Amino acid sequence: MEETTRPAIPDTLASVSTSAGSAQLAPTANDTPAGLTSAGSAQLAPTANDPLSVTAALELAKGLLENISLSIIGEVSELSDKPGYRAVYFTLSDQASALPCVIWRNVYDRQGLELRQGMLVEVTGRFTLYAAKGRMNFDVRIIKPVGEGDLRVKVAALARKLEAEGLMAASRKRPIPRMPERVGLVTSPRGKAVHDVLRTLRRRWPLAEILLAGVAVEGDNAPEQMIMGLSHVQANSPEVILLVRGGGSYEDLMPFNDERLARAVAASPIPIVTGIGHEPDTSIVDMVSDFRASTPTAAAEQVSPDRTELMAWLLDCAKRIDSDLISYFDRLSERLSRQATHPVFTDNEHMLRSRLLSLEHSQQRLLLAGDNLTTPFAAAISRLAAQLQALSPIQVLARGYALATGADGRLIRRVSNTEPGANLTVRLVDGSLVTEVRAVIPESMQTAFNYPEQTIPADADINPDGPTIHS
Amino acid sequence: MTDIKELSYRQASEELEAVLRQLESSQLELEESLERYERGVALLRELQGRLAQAQQKVSVLLGEVEPESDDSVDASLS
Repeated sequence: MEETTRPAIPDTLASVSTSAGSAQLAPTANDTPAGLTSAGSAQLAPTANDPLSVTAALELAKGLLENISLSIIGEVSELSDKPGYRAVYFTLSDQASALPCVIWRNVYDRQGLELRQGMLVEVTGRFTLYAAKGRMNFDVRIIKPVGEGDLRVKVAALARKLEAEGLMAASRKRPIPRMPERVGLVTSPRGKAVHDVLRTLRRRWPLAEILLAGVAVEGDNAPEQMIMGLSHVQANSPEVILLVRGGGSYEDLMPFNDERLARAVAASPIPIVTGIGHEPDTSIVDMVSDFRASTPTAAAEQVSPDRTELMAWLLDCAKRIDSDLISYFDRLSERLSRQATHPVFTDNEHMLRSRLLSLEHSQQRLLLAGDNLTTPFAAAISRLAAQLQALSPIQVLARGYALATGADGRLIRRVSNTEPGANLTVRLVDGSLVTEVRAVIPESMQTAFNYPEQTIPADADINPDGPTIHS
Repeated sequence: MTDIKELSYRQASEELEAVLRQLESSQLELEESLERYERGVALLRELQGRLAQAQQKVSVLLGEVEPESDDSVDASLS
């Protein structure tokens, strides 16, 4: 049972392993020499004076190692899980040591666990020795997670802290300029990433000037260097900054989980696009940047329009601008022919008619105004007529005065204007008397005034109630 | 009107878009439409020229860029 599930790596190992199979060794160093004698054949017994062949020595070691079944806790630091391979390889490590491990595909598939770098796991299995290379592996039969890896725990805690501060909020993410004139680039001056970016920008958007800060992106001082790189680039006011590096292990990418760098990225006055590594893990710097691209090339594409597309657009514009002008002229001439059919041009009397109408209207208004013109004067005239009537001598007659006129019809104003025997017509208010002057009696004004009644003879044929009319 | 040479690529292409919109509307005087057309054509030529002839300028502020090599970093196990 044990034999069948155990992977038979190379044939040589398998055969040696069966030959040494009966050995019962406790996993303590002290016991090994003692146990060995009971287990092995005589030829394999180690003695100081009796040198062994390499094969024999490794067979001996194999016998010692391969029956030790044990459990180990460590962090998965390197991982190769390629489809089609019969086994998954990884390294289990702590601060001081590293152990190459192998787990056969069929065993791995039964574990229900997806191994990731940085994961803390407990593995159960045994050591195996590959004699052809003298290499030791740990052959894993059972693997289970032990919480999260130390590094991952720390990174996750920092991520939660920065998220709580709002540094990852979608509202903080700024738009990425589409046609930047200047692009900052902070990355390692060595390796693939810098060239991936330069090549992509050269192909797509050569109009941009690139400001490159080549800094360390791996190792203890990488965060500090990248912060310095960012500030150098920022001082030259690009429109957008690329912060990129190529793929690497989780540990390699640790500088991108640095709190100081994350804060510098979040505080950048210029939008930052990250393209870090090729693995699905997202770093904290990715989370606080304005845009996270999956790779350096993708980051470069994010900040650059495609020159080919721009060329196509310009060609399209060239066609549009010509057809626009042509259709503009078409519209103009259409409007012109529409205007040409206006009654103004087609009906000779059109203009005249409207003017006649307006003339008639004016005439009406003028007539009306003329009618109204005399009204105030008529009123003044009747007022004057009333006044005139009030002043009429007829009214004076009504008060008892009389008018005397001679035969010639002239008014007799003075006694000297007549003589005895003359005929006078005396007009009263209700008619006239025809009289004859019998005597003329001149009189001074004063006397006449004082004694009016005595100036007229008692038989005078004039009105006895009033004096002679004075003129 | 700004000298086309002084416009950024983006400004020039935005202005070109605006010229096209103006020509498509019927709001222009005839003289104005001709003037807009000429401006549009000048913008187009400038943009095409810039795209065709652009040489990327790279200013290295920090570090020294190594020429591209084939031994790229590959951390995965082989």
